[in-house]
Amino acid sequence: MRNPFRRSVEQALDASRTALASDLIAALGEQNVLWRAEDLIGYEYDATIDRRRPDAVVFPSTTEQVSAAIVIANAFGVPIVPRGSGTGLAGGAVPIMGGVVVVLTRMNRIVEIDPRDRVAVIQPGVINLRLQDECAKYGLLYAPDPSSQRICTIGGNIATNSGGPHTLAHGSTVNHVLGIEVVLPDGRVTYLGSRVPDAPGIDLRGVFVGSEGTLGIVTSITVRLQRQPEAVRTMLAIFESIEIASEAVSAIISGGVIPVALEMLDQEIIRAVEPRLHVGYPLDAGAVLLIEVEGLRESVEADAQYVVTACREMGAREVRTAESEAERARLWEGRKGGIGAIGAISPNFYILDGVVPRTQLPKVMAEVMRLSAEAGFRCANIFHAGDGNLHPNIMFDELVPGATQKVLDLGGAIMRLCVDSGGSITGEHGVGLEKRSYMEWIFSAADLEAQQRIRDAWGTGERFNPCKILPTGHGCGAGHEAEIRQHLATPGVYV
Amino acid sequence: MTTTTNAEALRSLLPGDRTRNVADYAIDGTAPAIALRPQTRDEVVRVVAAANSAGLVLVPLGARTATALGRPLTRYDVALDTTGLARVVEYEPNDLTATIEAGMTLATFQETLAAHGQYLPADPPPSDNVTIGGLLATARPGAWRHHVPGQRDLVLGITAIQPDGTVTHSGGRVVKNVSGYDMHRMHTGALGAFGVIVEATFKLQPLPVSTRTLAIECESFESAADVAYRLWDLALPLRALSILAPGAAEVAGLPPRVQVLLECMGGDAVLARCEDAIRREAATSRAPHAGEVRPGSFVTLRALAGTSALTVLRLGVPSSQVAAATQFATERGYVAWGHLAAGSVLAVMPEANTIAESVRALRAYARERGGFLEIESAPATLRAEVDPFDTPERTLVTSLKRQFDPSGTLNRGRWQEDV
Ligand SMILES: Cc1cc2nc3c(=O)[nH]c(=O)nc-3n(C[C@H](O)[C@H](O)[C@H](O)COP(=O)(O)OP(=O)(O)OC[C@H]3O[C@@H](n4cnc5c(N)ncnc54)[C@H](O)[C@@H]3O)c2cc1C
Repeated sequence: MRNPFRRSVEQALDASRTALASDLIAALGEQNVLWRAEDLIGYEYDATIDRRRPDAVVFPSTTEQVSAAIVIANAFGVPIVPRGSGTGLAGGAVPIMGGVVVVLTRMNRIVEIDPRDRVAVIQPGVINLRLQDECAKYGLLYAPDPSSQRICTIGGNIATNSGGPHTLAHGSTVNHVLGIEVVLPDGRVTYLGSRVPDAPGIDLRGVFVGSEGTLGIVTSITVRLQRQPEAVRTMLAIFESIEIASEAVSAIISGGVIPVALEMLDQEIIRAVEPRLHVGYPLDAGAVLLIEVEGLRESVEADAQYVVTACREMGAREVRTAESEAERARLWEGRKGGIGAIGAISPNFYILDGVVPRTQLPKVMAEVMRLSAEAGFRCANIFHAGDGNLHPNIMFDELVPGATQKVLDLGGAIMRLCVDSGGSITGEHGVGLEKRSYMEWIFSAADLEAQQRIRDAWGTGERFNPCKILPTGHGCGAGHEAEIRQHLATPGVYV
Repeated sequence: MTTTTNAEALRSLLPGDRTRNVADYAIDGTAPAIALRPQTRDEVVRVVAAANSAGLVLVPLGARTATALGRPLTRYDVALDTTGLARVVEYEPNDLTATIEAGMTLATFQETLAAHGQYLPADPPPSDNVTIGGLLATARPGAWRHHVPGQRDLVLGITAIQPDGTVTHSGGRVVKNVSGYDMHRMHTGALGAFGVIVEATFKLQPLPVSTRTLAIECESFESAADVAYRLWDLALPLRALSILAPGAAEVAGLPPRVQVLLECMGGDAVLARCEDAIRREAATSRAPHAGEVRPGSFVTLRALAGTSALTVLRLGVPSSQVAAATQFATERGYVAWGHLAAGSVLAVMPEANTIAESVRALRAYARERGGFLEIESAPATLRAEVDPFDTPERTLVTSLKRQFDPSGTLNRGRWQEDV
């Protein structure tokens, strides 16, 4: 994809950039700073397409270095953009106005897992799955499990308040974060929250989590852990259509049993996944629900029985129960590899993230399918159905003239549909660059002004991760359509 | 114009029957110049905006159960009673979400939800008589905290009136939402620093099939810690797991010994399993007594934690320190009990006996263990002398307050002398 800024950015380094680089090198060491044009390319974009080249990229390994980098960038008057693994799906880590990208992946130590206090202290660059694996050794669980957990960082999860399949029962990231060390936009280091839950005072921790890297850089995180359940039962319910499966979602939950996970995969996904991963999804199904219940052996038995009955009553053709841990892992492998599999069947695809009240799912999914068909695109759905959090993936080929624009329009129409159904424009991926202009669909001018006050109180200014979340900011308004292009994921990158 | 005439002018903004007796709204012995109980959001807007432009200090109030929380007010002109706003705005049982007005009591809300087999899992002190606005503004954890998600975790959105009368919303009514800055988290626990909460949306939970309250008597705080930990590690479906000092046990209607008090939830088979686990644990630890106790034990302790004539301290300590911190407070003359999962220890004492030195000693103890102490209720003099909150980050609080309430209209002085 052509980047309109590329040519100008590729010009030789000017004097002030050289000075910036040399100050950063003096503070962080040569091995921790990238500044040559060819080295910066990998940091122009996130889980997406190139956007804008930064002036420099730094890899701090201490809080002091993070602070030093911020102070230097401020002195040069250039933007600062925090970045984890760059798997974000809203452009949050894209240095849209250039400046210094602060990459936290070298701060990747698990400082402490305390099984007695059930807390873990970690640096922001720790990969989500690594923390989960380490906790599992103690029979403990760090619950938030975004589908990108093999590569995304906990720092990125904090910034985006990530969810995952098990958010249904355990809540999003914010519900598991006890305390965070943060370097503020002026370089000052502070601590929000505590190692102990429910610290007194204004919940600055709660305001920070989900602020998409606009209120500071997280440099240390204390999270709450919980005991692994005694028993887990995973089921695959097979339906003739996505609408019927959607009806079942609401029926299961309103019946008084909330599964820990309730995920939907439609026919397009099944047909993409099954030939590649051989996880046992039936190729002729209209949609499947992946349902998990957990707890004591006694309750799991009863809850699983309830789920099976509810699915049957709602017209499931068949409900399979994983009989072994291996079978369970296989069923989940299909879910986790689902997005990657779309990459194998389509040159490009556009991942959407919207939320609706779950009772609206049948109507909304029917409408999503109708809108996609009408626009002439195939749409693959793999999503957190229990939370009403849909992810339509629109498949297209950017080489077909006009296709990209049509896909963007379709994406907008689907977001509008979510909002009109009482929902929201994002359930877990964030607003970032991409959805700024949709904010006005769900918030009034007064609401947005109040949100701006939070930024003002934190000193975000115009240079700390500029142009993210709010549809304001000097020089940010231009070219929303161009901004949105970064959202067109390259296939197969994130399997 | 004097404050009183200014305040009087507010009266004319609302129909005559909205005026209340100021003496009923006294805080720390001071009555406001005027007390108003609006019936609609629009009436709230009018009162708040008028107070703001007249330079008056307004205090939103719900059930008035937690007025001794925070620093003493530095000024108090207008009491805004929110209990007139008590409607269910929207409740869709199949979505497990509900939007209600902030003046509704938790009890009324729970009744509405119970009719559909649902509830909001929050057990704030002193009882379900608190209003929804108060529940959020104080965000006090109870015994259920971190066994089931509480109000902090379940609030999906808030509508608040800002000091200048502007109505603002944040979040939404869907169960998962990351659009924009979570102002509802800013309002939660803020004691009305940034706006008057008039409406809130919650994610709900199914009511447990049934619950059972059980207790194990222990020889010492150490053995109670061991017992409680072994039970916690079994991953039973608990809703509460607490360690009670003898004095707290007595209040809860149990023999005055160190007790582990817990509540399990689930169907018959699950409860049988929990009882079995307690029996085994009793055998292992040679506990003199173990078994079912009256469900009111937790209710009584909860009421005690919300008794305004008492000094109530909440120590936050790591779970591993809960038993020891309970013992520490007991040895200093407090009636104390602690919740293992939440790492919170409640320590209460008659107001008259409380001295700043002992509060500071408890705070130092909690801090040494990585925790904190919050004063949840105490005489105004004590709250003026010892910071009730113990938060290290003050600069951000001050600048948020300046952004949202530049003229100090709401709850002036609650957070810091200057805000
Ligand atoms: C295939 C795929 C599946 C996904 N599935 C899910 C899912 O199930 N649930 C979900 O929630 N998301 C999902 N995502 C989105 C993404 O993985 C998450 O948003 C993740 O939290 C981003 O982490 P990251 O380390 O890659 O952050 P980045 O992409 O590097 O950054 C994301 C945002 O966080 C900020 N940031 C990063 N680190 C810090 C820090 N230390 N301090 C302050 N701000 C920081 C950045 O500025 C940016 O705004 C998925 C993405 C892909 C590609």
